[in-house]
Amino acid sequence: MIGSLLRLRVFVARYRGRLTGGIAAFALARVFEALVPIMLMIGIDRLTEGNPDILWPVLGIVAVVCARFVTVSFARMAVRRAGLLVAFDLRQRLYAHLQLMGPKFFGRYTIGDMMTRAVADIGLIQRLISHGTILSVVLIFASVVGFAFMLSLSWQLTLLIFPPLPFVFLYAWKASRRMGLASRAVQERLSQLGGRVQENLSGIRTIQAMAQEDNEIARFAGVNQAYADAFRRQARINSVMSAVLPTLAAVCSITILGYGGHLVLTGQLTVGEFTAFFLYVNMVVQPFRVAGFIVSLFQRAAVASDRLFEVFDRAAEIEDTAPGERRRRIRGDLSIRHLDFTYEGASAPALADVCLDIRRGESITVMGRVGAGKTTLLKQLVRILDTPSGTVFIDGRDVRGYSLAQLRAQVAMVPQDPFLFGEPVRDNLTYDNPSRTLDLVWQAADAADFRDTVEEMPEGMDTVVGERGVTLSGGQKQRATLARGLIRHAPVLILDDCFSSVDTETEEHILSELRRLRRGQTTILVSHRVSTARHSDRIVILEDGTIGEIGSHAELLAAGGFYAELERIQREGADPADYAAAAGSAG
Amino acid sequence: MAEAVSRSRDPGASAPHRDYSMFDAELTGAVMNLSLLRRLMRWMRPYRVTLAVSALLVIIASTLQILLPVVISLVGIDYIIGGRTDGGTPDMGMVDLTVAISEGFGLPPLLAACCLYVALQLAWAVTVHAHRMTLITSVIKGLRDLRLDLFRHLETRPSSFYDRVAVGRVMTRVTNDIEALYELLRGLGTLIGEFAPFLVALVIMFSVNVELTCILLLALPVIAVVTFYFRRATRLLFRMVRLSVSALNQNLQENLAGLQVVQLSRRENYNYARYTDINQRNLAAETKSMRLETAYGAFTDSMASIAIGAVLWFGGGDVVQEEMTLGGMVLFTQFIAMLFHPIVVLGEQLNVLFRAMASGERIFQALDWDEKIHEPASPVTLPARLRGEVRFRYLDFGYEPDVPVLKDVSLTIAAGEKLAIVGPTGSGKSTLVKLLGRFYDFDDGRIFLDDIDLNRIHSRDLRRRIGVVLQDFHIFSGTIHDNILTRGASPSSDPAIDRERVVAAARTVNAHDFIAALPKGYDTRLSERGQNLSQGQRQLLAFARVLAADPEILILDEATASIDTETELLIQDALRKLTARRTSIIIAHRLQTIQEADRVLVLDGGQVAEVGTHEELLAARGLYFTLHELQFQETDAAS
Repeated sequence: MIGSLLRLRVFVARYRGRLTGGIAAFALARVFEALVPIMLMIGIDRLTEGNPDILWPVLGIVAVVCARFVTVSFARMAVRRAGLLVAFDLRQRLYAHLQLMGPKFFGRYTIGDMMTRAVADIGLIQRLISHGTILSVVLIFASVVGFAFMLSLSWQLTLLIFPPLPFVFLYAWKASRRMGLASRAVQERLSQLGGRVQENLSGIRTIQAMAQEDNEIARFAGVNQAYADAFRRQARINSVMSAVLPTLAAVCSITILGYGGHLVLTGQLTVGEFTAFFLYVNMVVQPFRVAGFIVSLFQRAAVASDRLFEVFDRAAEIEDTAPGERRRRIRGDLSIRHLDFTYEGASAPALADVCLDIRRGESITVMGRVGAGKTTLLKQLVRILDTPSGTVFIDGRDVRGYSLAQLRAQVAMVPQDPFLFGEPVRDNLTYDNPSRTLDLVWQAADAADFRDTVEEMPEGMDTVVGERGVTLSGGQKQRATLARGLIRHAPVLILDDCFSSVDTETEEHILSELRRLRRGQTTILVSHRVSTARHSDRIVILEDGTIGEIGSHAELLAAGGFYAELERIQREGADPADYAAAAGSAG
Repeated sequence: MAEAVSRSRDPGASAPHRDYSMFDAELTGAVMNLSLLRRLMRWMRPYRVTLAVSALLVIIASTLQILLPVVISLVGIDYIIGGRTDGGTPDMGMVDLTVAISEGFGLPPLLAACCLYVALQLAWAVTVHAHRMTLITSVIKGLRDLRLDLFRHLETRPSSFYDRVAVGRVMTRVTNDIEALYELLRGLGTLIGEFAPFLVALVIMFSVNVELTCILLLALPVIAVVTFYFRRATRLLFRMVRLSVSALNQNLQENLAGLQVVQLSRRENYNYARYTDINQRNLAAETKSMRLETAYGAFTDSMASIAIGAVLWFGGGDVVQEEMTLGGMVLFTQFIAMLFHPIVVLGEQLNVLFRAMASGERIFQALDWDEKIHEPASPVTLPARLRGEVRFRYLDFGYEPDVPVLKDVSLTIAAGEKLAIVGPTGSGKSTLVKLLGRFYDFDDGRIFLDDIDLNRIHSRDLRRRIGVVLQDFHIFSGTIHDNILTRGASPSSDPAIDRERVVAAARTVNAHDFIAALPKGYDTRLSERGQNLSQGQRQLLAFARVLAADPEILILDEATASIDTETELLIQDALRKLTARRTSIIIAHRLQTIQEADRVLVLDGGQVAEVGTHEELLAARGLYFTLHELQFQETDAAS
């Protein structure tokens, strides 16, 4: 635990001054606080002696209170500000670091997981610094200062008060640990409940269509009850704790009343000192209530710290092998030489000994079964995957010799999943370079057959899309991302299955636009449709990570292989029963 | 027959103008609304006895809590140490009790006082715990009931409702808004726990020293005013913090979801700068709100200490003049916390209360949302097996009163027939099949199922006989097995028989092979959005699910996205088996599907344009011919 927290010191070190200043101020504040009972004591003692002169004790209280106000405010602000600043730095660091991650990383961690680390884990560390520091400092100083003052009043009474305190501390610690477990159970049940509701509402049409409402209500009642039970359990632990703690602490009060009262009666203690003792015990015992909370703050922050450093410790997935290289124009000759690629943890290679030359200006369609390696191959060209050196060359130069900025600026790839940001359409289309003119944006929209869609939107190009704006259909999203790719006029354009949700007629139009716009430039497509592939200069068929067939539409038809079969099925429709039977017997 | 189906229509139901926007509004906070509380109390009514007990317990507990300092000051300081017996200050019988214990057990008075203190402390612990548990238990139970009622209500709202509202917003009703009510009721409970001792303490203080009590009470308005302004300021600041935090999260979330695009567009630095900006705004807002909170916290702490000074100053004179005992004065210093704390707590709870009021209002609005499908007063009992003949007669329908979607649709689908529906976007294809599932009320025209008027069948009975496959397969959390054999599809008591049924269904629709290839086969848990399945595989699962339910009529909205050719073939084959000997209505997008249908219905602008076989319609050279040319020209040209 200590080790995990110590790693945070790099982040805390910058604010060391602030923190030590705050802690010192806390110590001072406790002394001021402890002076209040002293003033009260002096006042009461004067009164018992029948001396009405209590102006000084009263003024003393006012002065001490003002001093305490100033020091406590300063101390808390300093420490809490340090917490906020550390959280700020951690967020910046995490954001910057996550941007260097790639498919390997996100194959292992989900986005939801990263969000939890960014929100909850950083929050825990902030709370450790802001609250954990304050609470533990208060606990320590209150005890030290409180006992010092009590000892100076009556060492016998102080020694008698001391024995119950460890028990109070122990109980507080244990109870709040139980409390922590119970709260976690409540949180888990609550998120189960939320999940149930979410699932139900998003599938409400299916549920109603299948007349499953009663079953779902019964299932929900179960989750609902489980949540109520967990909630009640947590409430009980909390209630018991807040009844037992004061009762344990009352042992101190009884000691003061009994033994302290005896001391007063025998003249060894004044009434004022007797009263002050009650206040001091309170001062010492109060912070104990949160002892367990403090411990759990430290423990949870340690776990949070581990989880954050787990991310920080991962090296950038794709190393920028030639950063800051001088700008040069890519012409668009591609060459792939004996490319092998195996995903981490996979038993079989995704690509095996792929060799392919693509001349500048050529258009290529890559086809193949699901999992044949189409996307894997294309991602090597822009180094979204870590391309092995000496395998992929652009204009005769290893892709690893280009800086990432250079490479990705000139080799444009439109990924399979049409992702739009929750921003205006225009910002989405000019995502790589927001300074493009509106004219260019509309041209690209035209080419992608996206103009009509945009014109129908309430605010045209300024319409915000996505969850918080206008929802687009799958086909519309694909056309938007196509426009985003086309607008770049890159020497090499890669479209990874970008027509799957676009109807054939629209696709035909876009393809003819593509031929016009991409004349003399290299274009690579992935598709399942023969209708898409037939216009390409060459078609590459991938089979289990190797090139199975390669050639023009006519050549491949004549060859009578996979492509020819695909063409026949898509043209006249195979008998699915035959196929299913064949697949079944094969599987 | 006509009057048998005329549904009683309540006047409110036909009101077309419903304000769906309430499900989208941001929570802002509302005023204290007593009728809302009254309504909420309806769910607490079953637990009213427990609540009454709880109220009684809190009074006892508060009194005990007050008596503890009385023992120390009036018994300890005045009676035992000061030796005063007259007192004159109301000690609530504590002195007498101490004397009684002391004489009854032969103990010195000091020891007797200690025993009394122990007894009071224990009694307090027990009653306060009992109070809290009775209160919280009834609150938890009441809200559990409310949540279930709300869920039941939402679960049974019709499609027309879900067409208009965002699921996420409705969801917050069931989760966050109910949570806010917990806060509300718990907050009210806390306030009772704070104010009960406050009032008891006030009574004692007044009887001890009116003047001093009044002086201390003067501090209350000061604290109240400061608290009021502080809370008002923090409300704004909290809002700023909340906004900036959600902006932070949104930005990060989106950046991660679109990271590939970010990297491909080399936007890393630009996005980082934007994030830094938001992060800085967040820091500024958090710092401001932290400063304010710190100052306020230190202020309330200080007020308590200042009050000690005030008691000493003003009470001191009275003690010297013997108008008040020393114990009385010490008692005052010990009551200070009880006097000031409730105001601070009230300030803390006020925001919660207001937010909860808004939540409550919206929960009740949702509960009052009475949009529904009108069920027949005396539904027909359907035979064990329907033949499956469907007749549409002069059907008119529109979602909005003035925008007709279906116009005068008449058509008979024979039992066991396979009908493909085609038509341009917005021609009413899906509306037609939705009406058949009675997802919307309709009045103009009729639909008959085996000669039974559809409006005389309870929608739930009807839907057990109609299997619907939507474009997107909805995954229920659970295993593949659970997803095929949906609960209520009359599962048998024997799991082995269930599994056989599931495997048989999956085999028939060609889903068995890919399922068996999964590491855990049929026991594979599907992730929420089914990312571990391809689109084609999801389609096959949907087929298996509907086949396991074995409905008499099948409605299928064919997926539009292109799927790789091999899976496509598996789907076509499965579809053939699924529709065999079953009345099937398919909104078709694939040529193959249309060709295999017995007849094709062409809808245009909500009207039946053409009906006939694929060949007949092609030969007729009408709308179908045009559609066919447009959509399938590529493949046809090749042939």
